[in-house]
Amino acid sequence: MSASILNDAPVQGIAAVPASLAEASRRAHISLAVMVGCVLLIGIAVPWLANAYWIKTLTSSLALSIAAAGVALLYGQLGLVSLCQYALLGAGGWIALRAGHGLGWPFELSVLAGGLLSCAVGMLAGLPALRLKGLYLALVTMMMAGGFQVVINVMGFPDGGAGWLGRVFGSERLMMPRPALALSDAAYFRYVAVWLAAMLALIELHRRTRAGRSWALIRRGEAAAVAAGVNILRYQTWAFGLAGFCAGVAGALLAGGVGQLDGRAFTAGDSVMLFALTVVGGVYHWAGALIAGLLLRAVPALLTDFGVNGYLAMIFFGVALLHALITAPSGIAGQLAGAFDAVRKRFARGGKEAGP
Amino acid sequence: MIRVNDLTVAFGGVKAIDGLSAELDAPVCGLIGPNGAGKTTLVNVLSGLVQPRAGSVTVDGADLLGLKPIERVRFGLRRSFQTEQVVEDLSVWDNVRALLDHVPHARGEAVAQVARALSHTGLLDVATVLGQRLNLFQRRMLEIAKSLVGAPKLLLLDEPGAGLTEQEAGALRRVIGSVHAFCGAQVLLIDHDVDLIAATCTQTLVLDFGRRLALGPTRAVLDDPAVRKAYLGTE
Repeated sequence: MSASILNDAPVQGIAAVPASLAEASRRAHISLAVMVGCVLLIGIAVPWLANAYWIKTLTSSLALSIAAAGVALLYGQLGLVSLCQYALLGAGGWIALRAGHGLGWPFELSVLAGGLLSCAVGMLAGLPALRLKGLYLALVTMMMAGGFQVVINVMGFPDGGAGWLGRVFGSERLMMPRPALALSDAAYFRYVAVWLAAMLALIELHRRTRAGRSWALIRRGEAAAVAAGVNILRYQTWAFGLAGFCAGVAGALLAGGVGQLDGRAFTAGDSVMLFALTVVGGVYHWAGALIAGLLLRAVPALLTDFGVNGYLAMIFFGVALLHALITAPSGIAGQLAGAFDAVRKRFARGGKEAGP
Repeated sequence: MIRVNDLTVAFGGVKAIDGLSAELDAPVCGLIGPNGAGKTTLVNVLSGLVQPRAGSVTVDGADLLGLKPIERVRFGLRRSFQTEQVVEDLSVWDNVRALLDHVPHARGEAVAQVARALSHTGLLDVATVLGQRLNLFQRRMLEIAKSLVGAPKLLLLDEPGAGLTEQEAGALRRVIGSVHAFCGAQVLLIDHDVDLIAATCTQTLVLDFGRRLALGPTRAVLDDPAVRKAYLGTE
């Protein structure tokens, strides 16, 4: 407690901004730079170290990390459980494929179109959240994901054909062309890493400014938010839009990586899995999204590599989710960050305690 | 200046406030009454969380009931709750900044305003500390600091002194007493601590069963036999 306030009259006049604030701001900038640097480093290093199979697998991991970052934003910042994010990923992929094949748009524009469409759909999907929370919101969004599963099963994804749906019948499906600067698998991996770094930075900038502060107030409680003048509808919808944008971009990048998308691969169960593994990865730290991406794609691939049935991953994930819910609410990323801090503090103490 | 005219609030068949009329014009006004008297309900009506069945409320001449809750915050209304609403994972600075985000202020003035409010409440030294690390006194002070930014007109403080030690309550008293001089805002203070009310409020309204029991200079009101009987008890 500040001793002065108990003994002295309140200080009047303009106050100087404390030095600790400038230091906190400097640290925040550094941590943002470290985050972007780490993701870009992964983008540079992996194509050197991994074979073609793993580069492709990890490209999907990075793309899904973008969607996981959106899920983490909703759950970590607002406590909202959205179980339709994988469907939004499919919607973004659909638009990107349609724009890429049918309109011949540049790849980046197709990705943005996919992101924006999913952003808009995500905002609509978020409207029930104004009245529903917890289990009920989860159920409503999961029904939306189920609806998408039915629709996309019938429609399929555009693959260069004619008509509104852009489907090819009776001849070979066309691949979506990759961007000119990322034609090879290794280059495309780096390309996706840049998108991931940019999207994580976008979310972090939101978290640290007005939107993040408003989300924090909503998280504290509706009365606290209203008493602080927060327009709950606007800021909650904004979060759903941003999470939808992440999902859409992820879907478009996934489509670009494989060249096509399979209508059967976007089930409601995938949305549940995306949410569960994002919680396991950690929703309060950017690294959680990266871990979620790895869990979704790399771990099953690793098990296959070892000759183990990939479905065993489900059991592993179930145990991991229980572990996260019971003992580690900040997920693997939170535990790693905690361990990293503990090690750093031990080294900072130096050899003083290491005497005989 | 708060002007309440023939205000009635009912929850089903229960009238929480029953035809209340009052004019509060002192810089720091007290609002007291036994449990269930309608104090918090009146604050909820003023801040927009509860809609009255009848009556009108104006603050500095502006009709408050025509404004939505968040419009009232922009207008200059601030309130603290019986349970403090500090955001645990935001720094002290960001807790105050979060309120300033949603009220009118000059863009270049934000940092200076937050710094002034924190300095006035003695929290500038802990500006970068997270909400979860604050003690109760600092939390209560932070609630007041939040109320001081963005040209406030009326502060509604709902039991800000609950749970504080005598020394801390003294510091709180000084800060509340200096709010009007600091930013020109009027304070409506609700508290069970009669010493706090007597020390800070020049005018006090006493409610009982949703009705006005007394209104006037604090000392006179506290000495009123009817108030003593209803609220303080008689020997």
